[in-house]
Amino acid sequence: MSFFDLKGTVKPLTALKQFGKKPHTISYPKESKEAADRYRGFHYNDIEECIGCGNCSTICQNAAIDMIHIEGVEGKKGDSGLRPRIDHGRCCWCALCVEVCPTGSLSLTKDYLYVSDDPDSFLWTPGVDNPEGKDKISFYTTNEISLNDFKRIPMPELEGMERVKSFAEVVLGYNEEQARAEASRCISCGLCTEACPEHMHIPEYINAIATGNDADAVRIIYDNNPLPEMCGKVCTRRCEDVCAIAVRGEPIAIRWLKRYATETALTSEITREIVNPEIKEANGKSVGIIGAGPSGLTAGYYLALRGYDVTIYEANAKAGGATMYGIPKYRFPIDSLDKQIEYIQSIGVKIHFNTKVGKDISFKEIYDKFDVVFMGVGFPDAWSLGVDGEDAKGSMQAFRFLHMVNSGEKVDIGDKVVVVGGGNVAIDAARVSRRLGAEVTILYRRRVEDMPADWEEIEGAEDEGVHIVPQGIPIKVHKDEKGHVKSVEYLKAEMVPDERGGRPKPVAIEGSNTIIEATSVMAAIGQMGDYSFLGKEFEDKIKIERGRFVVNDKQQTTDPKVFAGGDAVNRTADAISAIADGFKACKAIDEMLSKDKN
Amino acid sequence: MDELKTKIIERIKANFQDATENNSFNYNRLDFNVNKTTVPSILFYLKDEMGFKHLSHITCVDWLEEGELELIFIVWSPVDKIKVFVRTRLDRENPVMDNIDMIWRQAHTYEREFREMFGIQFTGLEAPQDFLLEDWDGPPPMRRDFHTEEYASETFFERPGREDAGDVREEIIKRSGEEIPDFAKKYSR
Repeated sequence: MSFFDLKGTVKPLTALKQFGKKPHTISYPKESKEAADRYRGFHYNDIEECIGCGNCSTICQNAAIDMIHIEGVEGKKGDSGLRPRIDHGRCCWCALCVEVCPTGSLSLTKDYLYVSDDPDSFLWTPGVDNPEGKDKISFYTTNEISLNDFKRIPMPELEGMERVKSFAEVVLGYNEEQARAEASRCISCGLCTEACPEHMHIPEYINAIATGNDADAVRIIYDNNPLPEMCGKVCTRRCEDVCAIAVRGEPIAIRWLKRYATETALTSEITREIVNPEIKEANGKSVGIIGAGPSGLTAGYYLALRGYDVTIYEANAKAGGATMYGIPKYRFPIDSLDKQIEYIQSIGVKIHFNTKVGKDISFKEIYDKFDVVFMGVGFPDAWSLGVDGEDAKGSMQAFRFLHMVNSGEKVDIGDKVVVVGGGNVAIDAARVSRRLGAEVTILYRRRVEDMPADWEEIEGAEDEGVHIVPQGIPIKVHKDEKGHVKSVEYLKAEMVPDERGGRPKPVAIEGSNTIIEATSVMAAIGQMGDYSFLGKEFEDKIKIERGRFVVNDKQQTTDPKVFAGGDAVNRTADAISAIADGFKACKAIDEMLSKDKN
Repeated sequence: MDELKTKIIERIKANFQDATENNSFNYNRLDFNVNKTTVPSILFYLKDEMGFKHLSHITCVDWLEEGELELIFIVWSPVDKIKVFVRTRLDRENPVMDNIDMIWRQAHTYEREFREMFGIQFTGLEAPQDFLLEDWDGPPPMRRDFHTEEYASETFFERPGREDAGDVREEIIKRSGEEIPDFAKKYSR
């Protein structure tokens, strides 16, 4: 052994190769290892994303989840305002609640250590009491593992170019198997019922369809809607906008399911047999209704059930109002409406057709004859374009055009039609013109995505070959020497953001004048009321503001004996709001008249 | 692989007349349906004669509507790299099956679990009655007609402090003023 042991000195230095590497020893203070990637520890709930549908609470097999009010969360349409609180003493971490969460707000974290000798401290609200959980999420729902079905059963339809050959109904309707499958997707949270103006019992009738009890479904539907087949075909279905399933997928086809249920009753007699309504004994009071539209029919139907003598005055040859004359027959066939009107008449509602109030009978006569008057008069007039040359032959109101086509009159529109507007009326007029064999262009001053019409309608129109020109403002209608429409001149527009935060505004670009050839022009930019039927005496008594009747929350006008509803009252201008108005008025009228009795 | 599958099917069908095959999988899997009395012999045959040395899994499916329980044995051949499912149906009211833990020792644990969770009796199984559940006197809990929520609410008491729980449907009704008729309420959640 030499004096200088080289080996003994250098060898320890080899330990330096471990420098900077992760130590194999346990560090102190001890750090616990992180849980596995898909670990199912404590819950975390994104309070903002959660809509309080309560599906987690319903699925929990241990009854560990309560839905409670928490501070700072207010309920609104599409949000119950409740949030889940979990008793961790009962939870077994099966994570079913996460798998059924339709929004995906509920998840499980990697946290699992919690020690306390106070059993009450295991009761806490995820997301509120453990905000730090947000960064530790490990088990969350995805479309693959979710127990919800986010795909809608597709609705069978006629093919685009096949449709334009006739006025045959485009939507073919679900068969039994499809309806049951679609209804089974519903989680029965009931958020939709708040968005429905009429608050129909949606989860109940969908559940009845899912379990195969179609008759019960029909009965539930008729509880507060006497025109469900119409709603099943053409409702604006605001319920589907707030559907819990729609947060991540396609909403339940609530409208088509209602249609399916009502179509199981083939005739008005079968409907009557199924619904089997209880009609109260006549109570000697009478109600006069002006207009057999959705609001008038609804008020009439439920008042008749409550024992009132109901008489409806309708200016046209058929009942249904805008749903009869404004909606094309390929969306809402005439026999489907007739079936519902027949049913309403069968329970004792009297309808006088072709009787225009103010012409065939005066408003005063009705006012004096009945204990209460309800007006569901709608908007019989339309706004004009207000451009030069609008008086040309072949220039018309889309609303009038639909009215004439639906009453079976022949309308000469030529072979090139320009429709101005972007609402459902514009799309309807365009699609009807297509069926009459014309080339159709829709001129709309904003973008396609700004169109107030249903997206399905817009898509349908495009499928049928309707040409849409967005951002076009019409400025002049040119006439030929015979005074007939020759072409439409329009300016292109650019979208300017609204400083006050509203919708972007279209502003015309100077010098961008474009001309489209046309044989007829249809204006579809809105409708308005005509209240001349009231006569001098009542015009002062019944207050009208900005073109609509002023009513209180019971649909009562400033004359306590007169109620009103429908388009002439509400701003939403759809059938279901009109039905809601009629139903509300019915309850108020019943309350008022039954008080008189005692 | 298709050749191998056909060969396996031929051999099995030659030896076990009651076996019906399902060869609809486009990967390395084959299914056989057999009578329950055939199960021990087909498993012996697969293990000793055909190289399916490994028992991957045993599982059970409760066919409530059909009144049957299905036992599924999954075996794997490390040489041929293919798995075979052996399926058999038992009467749900009186499910009795032969013990097979002499073929694979680990089947013993599976069988104890099936006895407890599905109520299947294995003739010849020598094991203590209790397995995972302690002092259990209820119905087998993995069967589909076992109502977990009902059991939980009967067994465990509600702790105070949860009385403020609301109901989503009622909350919406309170806000919107909806009136649900009585006959419709049975369809509510």
